[in-house]
Amino acid sequence: MIRGRLRCLMRGAGIFLSALWLGGCVSATVDEMTYNEPVAGIGESSVVILGRRHAPDYDTEFDFIECIGDHIHSGDPSIDVINEIAFINEFYPWFEPRTAPMQPQSIDRLLDMPMVAERFAEMKLEYMIWIDGRTVDTDSVGSMSCGIGPGVAGCFGFGTWGTESEYEATIWDFTDKVEVGKVSANTSGQSYMPAVIVPIPIIAPVQGTACDSLGDQLLEYLSAHH
Amino acid sequence: MRRWLLLLCLTLLGAGCASKQVVVEGNFPTPLMDPLPITVGVIYPQAFAEHEFFDEAKGRAESDWLVKTGEAQVEFWDKVFNGMFAEVVHIRDWQTVQTRGGGIDGVIIPAISDLQYTIPTHTNVKIYEIWMRYDFRLVDISAIHLQEDGALTVNPDERLAAWPITAYGKTPTAFLQTDEEAVNLAAVVALRDAGAHFITTFGAMPDIAAWLDDIANEPPDDGEAPAQNDEPAPTIPDEGVSPEATKGSEEADGTIDMSTAGASPADPAMATEHTL
Repeated sequence: MIRGRLRCLMRGAGIFLSALWLGGCVSATVDEMTYNEPVAGIGESSVVILGRRHAPDYDTEFDFIECIGDHIHSGDPSIDVINEIAFINEFYPWFEPRTAPMQPQSIDRLLDMPMVAERFAEMKLEYMIWIDGRTVDTDSVGSMSCGIGPGVAGCFGFGTWGTESEYEATIWDFTDKVEVGKVSANTSGQSYMPAVIVPIPIIAPVQGTACDSLGDQLLEYLSAHH
Repeated sequence: MRRWLLLLCLTLLGAGCASKQVVVEGNFPTPLMDPLPITVGVIYPQAFAEHEFFDEAKGRAESDWLVKTGEAQVEFWDKVFNGMFAEVVHIRDWQTVQTRGGGIDGVIIPAISDLQYTIPTHTNVKIYEIWMRYDFRLVDISAIHLQEDGALTVNPDERLAAWPITAYGKTPTAFLQTDEEAVNLAAVVALRDAGAHFITTFGAMPDIAAWLDDIANEPPDDGEAPAQNDEPAPTIPDEGVSPEATKGSEEADGTIDMSTAGASPADPAMATEHTL
């Protein structure tokens, strides 16, 4: 009886260790095509990173945009990254999903409005970076059952699912109103959830890797120190 | 023990069909734009200011939904109008019409004609959505009339412009976010979208453009307010309002009863008026 339980526990531990070994494996592909890199950095100018949210079936996540901004700012604290939500609110209604400019040439239309132009000048905005994409969970397999009884509760089973991220950053030079680069990051990974009494989620950091990959490339472009 | 078990069962059964209520709340930004140099009056009809949407559950697995948008609508549109126009006058009673009417270029009356929502339970898509359709009317101040009971009415035939505005808001599912929070967020996004739609299309509509041209071509006003005595203000023709109705307004205490019915069916002159 005890030997049977021990075997069961060892089997569970084996699954758990295998999952740990496999978990966290994320593959990433990054493509970059940029022009007119600011060799001396952007100085006292600022950068805003905005998510595209005009597609009917998805929104670029606000927390992903914040992650990239934090990544750039932590990599080079001299780069002033404007908070996305604060920017959208300040320029309401010109950066809503319905009204956001889709081409850099459309910026001139905004600058025709004196109050908007004045606010842009105050911000010393040099680059506007648009991020379009999303993270989705793909196929999942496995099963898990949980039970509860007098004085005991637990789960047993195993589940796994895939996650994929696809993001593309488009860099606009705000002064010249031209597109000066595109960076894309595609990442995918597999997450696992073994459960021997207690479920242990081993989550593949797919979105985090996409954030780091895009953030590194953008930092390289914007910063004089990278 | 049995009593507790029964209570647990009842709670679990009740949880499936509990009704969900959302009072829409949000922080709305003021539009960044150069205000149009005009003075507009705004009337929020009762149905608009207290707008709510109720959807009854279709089965045991669903919940009743009550989404109250009225307060948020008024808060939001106040910000939009204050950002868009040089001056905004809230018309809540006949006294305002009389005292401020002379300086008002036009009166905007919003209405919500439709609101639809979807949640992941309905669609199996991890998105909460709200869709709204507004019917805006722009009327001259002279089209606003007073009923015997103190209610304001408008003659729909006297409108300067009428146009629909559609708005859409969506928000994806998020960890630790309740259905109510997600629907609220989708409603806030829809309101913002409505404002963006309104602002960007306002001057482009032919009727509005013609109205703005007329205002721009008007000779400069001497700035005098209309008479504030018992006689109707000269800028507010009283067509469609019977002398009795006017007299009734004089006897009113100045407050507007938005909850009362509009034109009396017995009064043919008021048959086409819409109560505000």
